[in-house]
Amino acid sequence: MKKILLSFLLAVPILGYSQAFQVNLQGQKQTAMGGAGTGVALDEAAVFFNPGAVSFLKKNGVQAGASAIFLKAAFRENGSNLTEYTKEKLTFPPAAYAVFGNPNNRLRFGLGVYVPFGGAVHWDPNWTGKYAVTSLDLQAIYVQPTLSYKITDHIGIGAGLVYSRGKVDLRRGIPLTLNDGTSGTAQLKGNSNDFGWNAGIYVETVSGVTIGVSHRSQVTAQVKDADAIFKVPGALQDGFPTKFSANLPLPATSSIGLGFYPSSKTIIAVDANWVHWSKYKALVLEYNNNSRIPDTHSPRNYHDGGAVRVGIQNMATDRLALRLGAAYAFTPVGKGYVTPEIPDANRILLSAGLGYKASERFSIDLSFLYENIKSRNETNLETGLSGTFKTVAYIPGLSLSYKW
Amino acid sequence: MNSKFIFRSILAVAVVAAASCKPDLKTVTPSKGSADFSRYIAVGNSLTSGFADGGLYLDGQQNSFPLMIATQMQTVGGGTFSTPFFNANQADGSGYKKLTGFTSPSDPIITDVPAQAVIGSATVPGFGTVPLFAKYTGDLNNYGVPGIRLNHITLTYYGNVNPYFERLLPNTSPANTVPYLNFVNSKPFTFFSMWLGNNDVLGYATGGGAVAADFPTDKALFTQLYNLAAGTMVKGGGSGAAKGVVANIPDVLSTPYFTTVTLKALLDVIQKSQPQVQNIFIQPGTGAPRPATAEDYFLLPLKAANVIGKPNAAGIPYGLHPLNPVESKYVLDKAEAAIVVDYTNSYNATIKSVAAANGLAFVDANAVFKSYAAGRTVNGALVSAAYISGNLFSLDGIHLTPMGYAIVANEFIKSINAQYGSSVPIVDVTKYRGVKFP
Repeated sequence: MKKILLSFLLAVPILGYSQAFQVNLQGQKQTAMGGAGTGVALDEAAVFFNPGAVSFLKKNGVQAGASAIFLKAAFRENGSNLTEYTKEKLTFPPAAYAVFGNPNNRLRFGLGVYVPFGGAVHWDPNWTGKYAVTSLDLQAIYVQPTLSYKITDHIGIGAGLVYSRGKVDLRRGIPLTLNDGTSGTAQLKGNSNDFGWNAGIYVETVSGVTIGVSHRSQVTAQVKDADAIFKVPGALQDGFPTKFSANLPLPATSSIGLGFYPSSKTIIAVDANWVHWSKYKALVLEYNNNSRIPDTHSPRNYHDGGAVRVGIQNMATDRLALRLGAAYAFTPVGKGYVTPEIPDANRILLSAGLGYKASERFSIDLSFLYENIKSRNETNLETGLSGTFKTVAYIPGLSLSYKW
Repeated sequence: MNSKFIFRSILAVAVVAAASCKPDLKTVTPSKGSADFSRYIAVGNSLTSGFADGGLYLDGQQNSFPLMIATQMQTVGGGTFSTPFFNANQADGSGYKKLTGFTSPSDPIITDVPAQAVIGSATVPGFGTVPLFAKYTGDLNNYGVPGIRLNHITLTYYGNVNPYFERLLPNTSPANTVPYLNFVNSKPFTFFSMWLGNNDVLGYATGGGAVAADFPTDKALFTQLYNLAAGTMVKGGGSGAAKGVVANIPDVLSTPYFTTVTLKALLDVIQKSQPQVQNIFIQPGTGAPRPATAEDYFLLPLKAANVIGKPNAAGIPYGLHPLNPVESKYVLDKAEAAIVVDYTNSYNATIKSVAAANGLAFVDANAVFKSYAAGRTVNGALVSAAYISGNLFSLDGIHLTPMGYAIVANEFIKSINAQYGSSVPIVDVTKYRGVKFP
């Protein structure tokens, strides 16, 4: 295991999952620095972290990378002696950015492709919580063309339009017994196409400290007339729906970040995020045929979540950057609303990484992120599922960049 | 900030991560507390035997709550647990009911699966002819005998008239002379569950109060016998002492057998063709025929009998006129229902006080069933007393589904744990099925 982990350190993270189904792996440098990056103009990933900082980038460039999320959740029903684990299900959220335009001009252009929301949680199809959920695959890919403008030599603003392509696949057991003695199942599968925006301001203060403020808007993923595949007893099949519709809020995030530069070799970034999860009141599923089952209204009643992040980058040599970070994220999920598709709790994040400049133009960045989600004993108000959840995640990632 | 420090920190992160590769929950070590589960026996009636869908058959036996409990007890030193299974080529046992489809709009079509374990019959003098099941020989821990009442447990001839008991005994009817209470105590045991008394009121209720022989057991006799039973069981069949758990009698009137066919439902059906009909006439246990009220219970078999509105020889439609009322056997009228409730409450008061006097764990099955009757969500599955769709009751409307028995098993386990300071793990209710649909 240690060997594998050490070799991860030589790989790079691309997709991580932090705070319910929000993913915070939008740049390898930032990921290695605890996910902080709103208040610094580090690299092309500023398109995501702070469009206002894009106009402060010294060079143009493209970068592409991905992380690999190894996530494992455990559950033990209260009163039971058996622990159940989610299956190994790797996900690879990518992130790619480009920044162009004349670096000497006030106006710069950016393009970002990244995955800010996602998750893959696969329990055994016959596990204790099968009537709540057996698996969830969720992914929202954002494409964000961006403009960034230096108002003065020390203040930049920027904004991007977000197009979001969402994919969801949710499966659960249905408490109806088929003739072979097994339970029925339901699978809800759909796509969505939605829009949002991302804007930020970046300021270099007289003291040398840089400040960034950004806001990424909510995107409401609207799934319409998507496939609802019910495997139920034949005698009842006719009464079951074949299509469903749902709206899932992908919440807004407001961030403020600071950058400190204690030496020419060292950057310290500190971020605070406020994630507007309180918009996620309920998961409502509307079906095209309600003769057997009503539309479902599962209360979620999230409250807002947040995170504090700190990271450091140090140039060990002219070519080698070392990075380290830590963060603490506050869960939006309240008591009684923890569900097995998102067994969320407050979490500690530790990160490390390195960057290597192979040439003046070409460099490679690696990161490794470890997330420890606190164990949480809960009884869900809707399903009655009662037990302890505990989740850990290991997320190595890698990106390549080319500058000019 | 020197690089060495960062390098070391990177290593530290890796080590922390490696140390906790799988999410670890606090270990639980089940314990037996002050109880000894090395030989657990289950004493009781149909509910103990795993009876379901109107019969005793292998699948039901394999999903009996005592077997579930015994399996969990094995984590804390419990021994093997033998159930008198029907063998594989007699798996259909006494025969049972099966759901084979739905009429439109949604009335269930229920088919009888024939018996496979009947090997003949015996004539019992003064009683008549009784069927005989294939004998079970071998170790025995589940002594559940469908149909047994508390006032049967001391009868010397009972092993000749109840084929479910007869198949467990060495002799063939009518040669048996061992009373049930003596039989279960013939081998030492360390722990027991006893769920008796249900049939002392159930037969009266399910027969619509129409059969005199089914009248509930006298309250004083019930108390005397329950004290005898508990007092005998705690001696452990010769082992010196045994601990145990007892359960009281569920509210039979909240089972689908009594709640599925309602006055409103009957009127709704008949008014479709005869809108002028305002009343269903019933023959109460005592007195003249009268219109039914919401306080009278129609029984589940009335639905299958399909007799409402059928004219008799005189041309009078069944149930729609005082001269051709719904027979007493299909109705538990208000006065009869009051008798059921009264006796159930009296028996339950006895069971509770005897349990306390003997230091036994106690399961308030009556309260448990009431709490599920309206519907409760168990790990995401809706469980209610609704007929067929409620996941709790099997097709006979009285006995439970495997899921229902799993819920009962957990109630027993919780009571045992509370009484004896043990931590026997619960069963996973979602691993057990409800009613099978075609």
